[in-house]
Amino acid sequence: MKVLLIEDEKTLAYEIEAFLKKAFYICDMAHTARKGLEMLGVNPYDFILLDLGLPDLDGLKVLQEAKKLNPDAAYIILTARGNIEDRIIGLDLGADDYLPKPFSLLELQSRMQAISRRKFNLNTQEIALGEFSIDLQKRIVSHSKQEVELTRKEFDLLSYLLLHKNRVLTRMQLSEHIWGSFADDDYDSNYIDVHIKNIRKKLSSFGSVEWLETVRGVGYKIRKH
Amino acid sequence: MKLISKLTLFVTLSKLVVVLLFVFALPYLIGGIARDYTDSYLRQQKEKVLEIVAKNGVNTYLQGKDSYGSYTMLMEEYISLEPTEKGFNIDTIYTDERIIEEDTLSYRVLTHAFLAGDKKYLMEVGKTIATIDQYNRPLQKIATYVLLGLILFTLIIDLFYTRFLLRPLGRIIRTKISNRKFPFNENSVPIKTTTTDFIFLDTSLINLMQQIHEAFEKEREFTANASHELMTPIGILQNKIENLMDEPEVGQMVQERLIGMHRTLNRLKRIVHSLLLISRIDNDQFSKNEAVSLRELFGDIEEEISHRLTEREITMQLNISEDVVLKGINRDLIFQMMYNLVNNAIRYNKPNGNIVISDKISSDGSCGITISDSGIGIPEEDISTIFNRFKKANKSEESGGYGLGLSIVKSIADYHGLTIELSSEVNSGTEFIISFPCNLIQ
Repeated sequence: MKVLLIEDEKTLAYEIEAFLKKAFYICDMAHTARKGLEMLGVNPYDFILLDLGLPDLDGLKVLQEAKKLNPDAAYIILTARGNIEDRIIGLDLGADDYLPKPFSLLELQSRMQAISRRKFNLNTQEIALGEFSIDLQKRIVSHSKQEVELTRKEFDLLSYLLLHKNRVLTRMQLSEHIWGSFADDDYDSNYIDVHIKNIRKKLSSFGSVEWLETVRGVGYKIRKH
Repeated sequence: MKLISKLTLFVTLSKLVVVLLFVFALPYLIGGIARDYTDSYLRQQKEKVLEIVAKNGVNTYLQGKDSYGSYTMLMEEYISLEPTEKGFNIDTIYTDERIIEEDTLSYRVLTHAFLAGDKKYLMEVGKTIATIDQYNRPLQKIATYVLLGLILFTLIIDLFYTRFLLRPLGRIIRTKISNRKFPFNENSVPIKTTTTDFIFLDTSLINLMQQIHEAFEKEREFTANASHELMTPIGILQNKIENLMDEPEVGQMVQERLIGMHRTLNRLKRIVHSLLLISRIDNDQFSKNEAVSLRELFGDIEEEISHRLTEREITMQLNISEDVVLKGINRDLIFQMMYNLVNNAIRYNKPNGNIVISDKISSDGSCGITISDSGIGIPEEDISTIFNRFKKANKSEESGGYGLGLSIVKSIADYHGLTIELSSEVNSGTEFIISFPCNLIQ
């Protein structure tokens, strides 16, 4: 997957680039709108991550131009402006998603994955996880063709951990994903623990869940090769 | 009492007092004037008599007799001359009663002694004053009627004129004070008047509102810019921490520190988010044309928040009986407002406590939502400041963004024109009542 990141805040751009490279994306960077459009004219990209607050051109205009050059790519708007009009206009202009700054890199990857499934029909096959298989499209967890019933939040939690497999996710990162802006601010509470306990209980009646690990003092991770 | 009523009352009373004084003083005034007039008339008569005596001799009157006396036909006046032995310095005017043909008549009498030939004479000139007294009563009556009529007439003129004079004041109150909503966004048009006091009042008010508006605008702009400027570095830090946490060489100890940093950063993020939200609400950046059913809204909130209820073993009772649908509102904001209130009801509740949410439709069509909890309550001295930014009911509690939860509630309520009533008792609970006016009910 080739990603073009158009972001004038260089430090932020390098962090995003480092993260995406680790997640096996090929990432190019442009710090101005002009440079970005130039690069778009030369190379095809799958993802374009576009900051709206660029110094040389209005982000929404860049989006329109870029769409002409590369209509098949998936566009994700990144912005600190965050007013509702920008969001609506951006999505109307054909952006696939919209992430208000500051965002979590994990959330960015999760959105990109969702777009891949939706737009490029990638990763649609069932993913094996120990004795279980997970269909992210249909949101089903099954054990030898038998469906395991999970609540919406439990499934969200499981798929988020799966997406970031082999990486420890903290309780805060998990609750931010599940509850968004309504995530609680007393992070010592054990809502995530309760949900994990429920997931383990439901799955373990079918098979082993040793791939779902508790990392003491940090959080949880799914171990998968 | 309104200024115009006070003015009218005062003017009426003062006029009445003046008229009454005048009417009561009238007899004395007229009496005095009549006496002066009579006296000068008597003196003129005296001069005439003396002139005649000097010219023609006293015999013109006496005609050989000792004394002379003459009344006019109706005894209104008389003149008498008679010899006297008394001193010469008699020259007085006094009021005297004389009985003439069985009638007692009051006379004003002038006595004067003079020398004619070698004899001393005493002259009396009299004029009745009964006729004057007779006029007093009718005069008083007529004066009363005329003056009362005049009072009425001038009062009507006064009333119209003061009304006209005070009209700019009324307009200032109507347009500048009573119907204005903070932070005075709309432009003020100066009132047209020639009264300098009102012009001064009006321009002072306009200037004051302008200043308030500007100060508010500055604060709002600052909040928006500051929040926006803060978001980028927060984002950088967050992403740095996230990348760092995934580095294989980071040990357990550093990992835990990073989590701590991440939490603090998240707290900062929430505060900035809340400030930005408040500034956006105050900035009218949200549309208000959505509709939502209250029952559905609270259903969603319950679903969103149920894990917290379970954890703290709090029971929540939803008594939304009528299916009220709100219109002309922003769904997300109303959700946020109710969510914050319910969340506070959980946060400041006691374990095994309860929360009751109920609705009530008033006779005027407005709808009140009551959210009451069995929590720790709010001390009375804190109630007035509870909606201020960065105030908490429980200061010892370390939590992010909660200094702003109720400020957000207040901003959203103000934005939609809702009223919030709050009653609380320490250790037994708090009750919030949010009233939706009837124009927001479908």
